[in-house]
Amino acid sequence: MRPLTPRRILWICAGLTCLLFVAVLISLRMGAYPISVQDIAMTLFRGAMGRRDEIPPDFWSVVFVIRLPRILLGILVGASLAVAGAGFQALLRNPLADPYVLGVSSGAALGAIVSLVIAPRTPGAIQAAAFVGAALTVAGVYFLGRRGGQLDSATLLLAGIVMASFLSAAIMFLITTLSGHDLLRGMAFWLMGDLASPPPIQDVWKWFGFLFIIFFVAAGAIYTTSSDLNMILSGEQEARHLGVNVNRVKLVVYISASVLTGLAVSVSGAIGYVGLLVPHVMRMIFGTDYRLLIPTSVLGGAIAIVLADTLARTVMGPTELPVGAMTALAGAPVFIYLMRRRVR
Amino acid sequence: MSASAGSGPIVMPQPRPFGAAPPPRLRVEQASYAYSATDRSAPKFTLAPTSFDAQQREIVAILGPNASGKSTMLRLLAGLTKPLSGRIEVDGVEVSELELRTRAQRIALVQQESELLFPLRVWEYVLQGRYPYGRRLRFESDEDCLMAGNALAQVGGDALRDRWMDQLSGGEKQRVILARALAQQPSLLLLDEPTQHLDIGGKVELLRRLRKLADENRYTVVVVTHELNLAAEFSDRIVLLNKGKCLRVGTPAEVYEGALLEEVFEAPLDVEMRTSGRPRVILRGSR
Amino acid sequence: MRANAYKIIIAVTTAAFLAISAAQNASAQTQATAPQSAGAASRENAQTSLPASGTRTLTDEAGLRVTIPAQVNRVISLAPNLTETIYALGLEDKLVGDTTYCDTPAAAKTKPHVGDTINPSLEAIVALHPDLVLATMINRIDTVIGLSRMGIAVYTTDPRTVRGMLESTMHVAELMGATEKGNALVAQMQARLDALHARLTDRPYVHVLFVVWQEPLFTIGQNTFIADALKWAGAESVVTSKQDWPQLTFEEVVRLQPEYIVTASTHTGEEGKRSLEEFRSRPLWRNLQAIEAGHVAVISDEVDKPSPGLIDAIEDLAHQLHPEVFTAKRAADVERMTTEVGL
Repeated sequence: MRPLTPRRILWICAGLTCLLFVAVLISLRMGAYPISVQDIAMTLFRGAMGRRDEIPPDFWSVVFVIRLPRILLGILVGASLAVAGAGFQALLRNPLADPYVLGVSSGAALGAIVSLVIAPRTPGAIQAAAFVGAALTVAGVYFLGRRGGQLDSATLLLAGIVMASFLSAAIMFLITTLSGHDLLRGMAFWLMGDLASPPPIQDVWKWFGFLFIIFFVAAGAIYTTSSDLNMILSGEQEARHLGVNVNRVKLVVYISASVLTGLAVSVSGAIGYVGLLVPHVMRMIFGTDYRLLIPTSVLGGAIAIVLADTLARTVMGPTELPVGAMTALAGAPVFIYLMRRRVR
Repeated sequence: MSASAGSGPIVMPQPRPFGAAPPPRLRVEQASYAYSATDRSAPKFTLAPTSFDAQQREIVAILGPNASGKSTMLRLLAGLTKPLSGRIEVDGVEVSELELRTRAQRIALVQQESELLFPLRVWEYVLQGRYPYGRRLRFESDEDCLMAGNALAQVGGDALRDRWMDQLSGGEKQRVILARALAQQPSLLLLDEPTQHLDIGGKVELLRRLRKLADENRYTVVVVTHELNLAAEFSDRIVLLNKGKCLRVGTPAEVYEGALLEEVFEAPLDVEMRTSGRPRVILRGSR
Repeated sequence: MRANAYKIIIAVTTAAFLAISAAQNASAQTQATAPQSAGAASRENAQTSLPASGTRTLTDEAGLRVTIPAQVNRVISLAPNLTETIYALGLEDKLVGDTTYCDTPAAAKTKPHVGDTINPSLEAIVALHPDLVLATMINRIDTVIGLSRMGIAVYTTDPRTVRGMLESTMHVAELMGATEKGNALVAQMQARLDALHARLTDRPYVHVLFVVWQEPLFTIGQNTFIADALKWAGAESVVTSKQDWPQLTFEEVVRLQPEYIVTASTHTGEEGKRSLEEFRSRPLWRNLQAIEAGHVAVISDEVDKPSPGLIDAIEDLAHQLHPEVFTAKRAADVERMTTEVGL
């Protein structure tokens, strides 16, 4: 018998972190502006040392204003979606669950539309409105999804689907009645999922610090329940008998996964397939133990989005595709492959 | 309750008067349950007030036809529901008041089916039985592995260690589920109709194993069943329920009476006493 | 199994990196020559685009404060109408980049492209070292913010009416240091508009339905650019709606009974007859008074673009709707239009 040990988790995460590092380097290198690896390294190094005046302004712009924030955003979004997906799959006891199944993305989209109508040129309005929309949806689905005062997987799923369709109808209604070119164009990118939005505040690092704190708190909360999730996946009643506080675990996972999804969707729109597929692929490689699945999903999701975004912005240069288009193109075949193969 | 290595739970030493009997492992005192109970109307009991005791090394069979309140009794014993009235104590402690993990360390409930969402290996599954012994986010210690290994050995499942759960036969799965319950190192082992999906050989094998476990490891085993002859053969005590009422508590010989059983099970039954002192129930032919 | 998985992942990643790198280098060779040749000079200009000496700060048409260098030699246009305006001003030498949709005049297609109008590539823009980027409200606010964060000046135009277009043209000319050319062009356009206005003052407005899309039926609202352009051509949309692109049911069209149906197309001329045939072949439309009378006017799609070509489209529409005012000069005007629109 070889039970999972913290050491094994650390080794695997170290390996995946190296892969992430490689992906980040690739992404920094690719782009419409030709810049060599040496120049990138020099820019990063001097930027870290605080010697900004020694860096040619173009290099600074390309590396620190255009590419690096986008990569960081991609890491955050990919990690959030993957962990949220893993969480929802356990919570809803459904391997086909993705972070959007409970309607969070529709709520965020509705918020985004409202903000595009009211304040189309205000920076940060879309993100804030989308997050509010997501939060309200989460609360609504929670209250609809309770049964006997507790979260019930089947009821929750049903409530989420109902909420998602209702919100989609509202979105369609708004789009048709408020039709104007600006609105539709802004929404198209947001609906597909897009990492190009610049941070709403001037200080990019503060923005990312803020986002990453939220991510770590929410993902950390889910991680503390990973032993419990393993048990719940073997059967909810049995888990209860073994001493798992199933109701509390479900609530923690529901809130944390929703926060992560809301976070990702607010800053980048609804990027699809990542939350569904990354946990499955990580399960295939590393097993179903959530104590390992959560950290590997974090890293796997980050790697997936960074690579997808790199492809999205370079494959048809100089036109930039939204990253959601790339995840859909790559994700669909992977999904089909997984469905035909037993998940081990 | 400490989680030290040992082949069974530790009984709290109590000073007792010289010559008195040891306190019962399980004590059920006037426990009842009803779904609807308001001040105005009398409650409709799914289980009328029932009492019985059980010691270590005893197998108790809760016997009765369908809808007799057996499942309710089991839920009460497991502490999943609080009784409407009365008390249920294990080792002197009220069961429904125990904290979740402590309860899981004392009482193990063996379910029939196990619907796994994702594939799991047998040893991983059995190891899950160690969950009550540790922090929330826990990694299994060597002791946990030892205990789990012991549990698996006790059910004769060593060979199954690396198999996948969904590739086991019905009987093998049954054993593994039992092993997980044993890994909890419980005082009280509860089984809900464990023989339902087994053939006669499987049924006998299971009950023999339970008997052995009870004897060797000093478990108290409570089995909910409607198998009359198996209960008579293997249990030390029978609690006969019908339509929520407890009709009789006692040894199989005391409880099995032809007319009574006929009335309860609504079938033409005869009771025969065998030389071992245990009764046997025979279906009277219609011809 | 895990070791294999790692190997596969690393192999795929490396292969992807090499493949993309190779493709990237190939395209970078062709793209790099254009900006690199102006490398030294553009580097200097890039320095001046930082707010140091010789800059001025003003508010653009979208209400944002912009700091523009006094000397503007490299301009990128992010919308087709701005490209057309720059060419009309004769300032195309200063235009170093435009979008993939900038096709009027045809020469604009040969300029380096920075992407499409909705989501142009910031990197491509940076690579061209512009002093000034001209944008419209069609471009995403994210693009504007991203560019300004990198110290690149972005001026957004927002003409809502035909007069607004004239003002925008003036602004663009001033920004690019060609005030005289701007004055000349604007004066010319204003003169044509005034001439039209003079001829049409006594005429009542022709009631038209401007069809943006037939199925589903979309038309224009009263606050749109096209509605204003129609007024200059002596026409008025029968639809009064606050929405920009209201959708109509056909019964509504029948109730309104417009005198003329107007549509826009990239190729005019022959399109007029074809459109009429098409409308006549549709069961619902053929019974409209306008269709029965053959009153279908097709004008250039310049009518939706705030650019100099708009004037031609307005004049064309005025000729079609009020032929009695223009009889003598009709032939000469048609010829002039054909050459100017660049067909």
